Amino acid sequence: MNPTTSMYVAQGLHGLAYGMILFLIASGLNVIFGMMGVLNLAHASFFMLSAYLGYQVVALTGNFWLALLLAPLGSALVGVAMERFLLRRVHAFGHMGELILTVGVGSIVLAAVKSIWGTESLQLKMPAILSGRVTIAGLDYPVYRLFIIGLALLILAVMTLLLYRTRLGKIVRAAVSDAGMVNALGINIPLVFMLVFGVGVWMAGIAGVAIAPILTVFPGLADQVGMDAFIVVVTGGFGSLAGAFIVSLIFGLLSSYGVQFMSELAPVLIVAFMAIVLAIRPHGLLGARDS
Amino acid sequence: MSATQRRLACVVTAFALAAIPPLFGPYYTNLFLTFAIFSVFSVSLNLLLGYTGLFSFGHAMFFGTGAYATALALKHVSGLPLLAAVGIGVAAAALLALVLCPIVVRVSGTAFAMLHLAFSQMMYVLALKLHNITGGEDGIGNFPIPALTIPGVGSVPMKDEPANFYYFAIALLALSLWLMWFFTRTPLGQVQLAIRENARRTDYLGFRVAQTKAVIYVFAAANAGVAGSLYGLFHDLVSADGALGALVSFAPIINIMIGGIGTFLGPVLGTAIFELIEELASRYTEHVELVIGLLLVVVIMYAPMGVLGVARMLRQKWRRDAPAAGALQKTS
Repeated sequence: MNPTTSMYVAQGLHGLAYGMILFLIASGLNVIFGMMGVLNLAHASFFMLSAYLGYQVVALTGNFWLALLLAPLGSALVGVAMERFLLRRVHAFGHMGELILTVGVGSIVLAAVKSIWGTESLQLKMPAILSGRVTIAGLDYPVYRLFIIGLALLILAVMTLLLYRTRLGKIVRAAVSDAGMVNALGINIPLVFMLVFGVGVWMAGIAGVAIAPILTVFPGLADQVGMDAFIVVVTGGFGSLAGAFIVSLIFGLLSSYGVQFMSELAPVLIVAFMAIVLAIRPHGLLGARDS
Repeated sequence: MSATQRRLACVVTAFALAAIPPLFGPYYTNLFLTFAIFSVFSVSLNLLLGYTGLFSFGHAMFFGTGAYATALALKHVSGLPLLAAVGIGVAAAALLALVLCPIVVRVSGTAFAMLHLAFSQMMYVLALKLHNITGGEDGIGNFPIPALTIPGVGSVPMKDEPANFYYFAIALLALSLWLMWFFTRTPLGQVQLAIRENARRTDYLGFRVAQTKAVIYVFAAANAGVAGSLYGLFHDLVSADGALGALVSFAPIINIMIGGIGTFLGPVLGTAIFELIEELASRYTEHVELVIGLLLVVVIMYAPMGVLGVARMLRQKWRRDAPAAGALQKTS
């Protein structure tokens, strides 16, 4: 096994894992946007909140799996509360109001996180069973990265089944294309919105707990990963899950190989890719014309 | 307001501005100059946001470009006149806008907002990473600040002369503010409103929507460059966080929302209120983010049209109420 190949494989795996995390965050953002027309700028803050909650659960119980279960639910609850009590009321004032409101909530979450957990970096330990390496066909893989990729694919599969094989999924897809009409047909659209918002935040929450052992948990987490997720949504095309998936993987790989070969300019590489895509297709890779 | 009244208001304002340094001393003069700089910055964003309906989350990149260009020019070119340094800052901001506009005038709404967030983030990252040009996290500090020299008249020193610099900066800021006000009164400024209301219909009427947007965009960027350039000179320090950070982009949006979107002086009023609250908040609490976040949520929930919007609504209500107080109650 020559070291160059194994470097490429290792970096590729890092890239895929990061891309999957990005996709978990971005798909939540995307579904919320596609359905409600709301760009939730507090989305990354919920992602960060979940990472902190996960840290807290592990610190109290020592059980990573419990954290993976509880923390995303906790932040989804906060997200649903925001949708129900704040966002729904400013819907009438258009996108500006919603954007500003979510920025405000993000700012409050950041302040809360800082005052509860402080500003230093916290370490969330990965469970022993996932911390080793595994050898498949002569190549060495870190188990945790494989776990992230598997987890994301599992959630993706479940979501796809929900969306395309159930009655609820049908309602959601109908609401994406015309919420007013579905509402008129006697389906409680505000409730569906709330549910979708909660599921979107929950997915970001899963990503938050999953990525915490790799990165550390710190108040800048939302800015760092959130910005990438927004770029994924913009580049992939608003409302397009397939676009988000493709761009997430490209971004994950770009950033991991970018760090390997030109570490200083890796973030620039990503934004440059976005600029090129948008210069050619202003509504994103697979975006609809009227977004 | 009649023309005479307006002229009178201008004269009174000019005297009031001139009286600030001798009356209030350096601390409040500097506070006021900060307010004036961010007012112009906010008004320049409002040209896009309130007048053209283009929502930008990255206006800081023009502010920052103005600041960095001025600082770099003064650091590397010896004997550069003061006005030329400011001019370079403004030109750099306008040039950046000119480069970006082929991409950004094609999109609107959320895509426009997010593109700007991304571009300004890229500028921020570049400013942090390109150590040998921008000084990385330390930024560019202690660059020479030349005296203002007018050939045949004389020269006014600016370094360590806060009062002199105040007059110089206020004059330029007032000029920039006046230019923007004038712009909104021109036929081009009217097309701007038409684009905000209905871009497609404006297009059908034969106006070039993309080109008009581009002109407004570059003009707004240049004025943000004026504010940024003066900000750099004022502090004699330009850093990525201070001039390009996300908070620098959000501040003018908050100001516009507080003051009243779509009114010319709303952002100025909003800046005054916001600066006051921020000054008080940072004096009494460490949780400035919490205060700002709560402020945003409260304003959006209860006064989405801002202070001027609420004032206008109350005035209209009062006027309608005056003749027949009972008539309104049925409709409201």
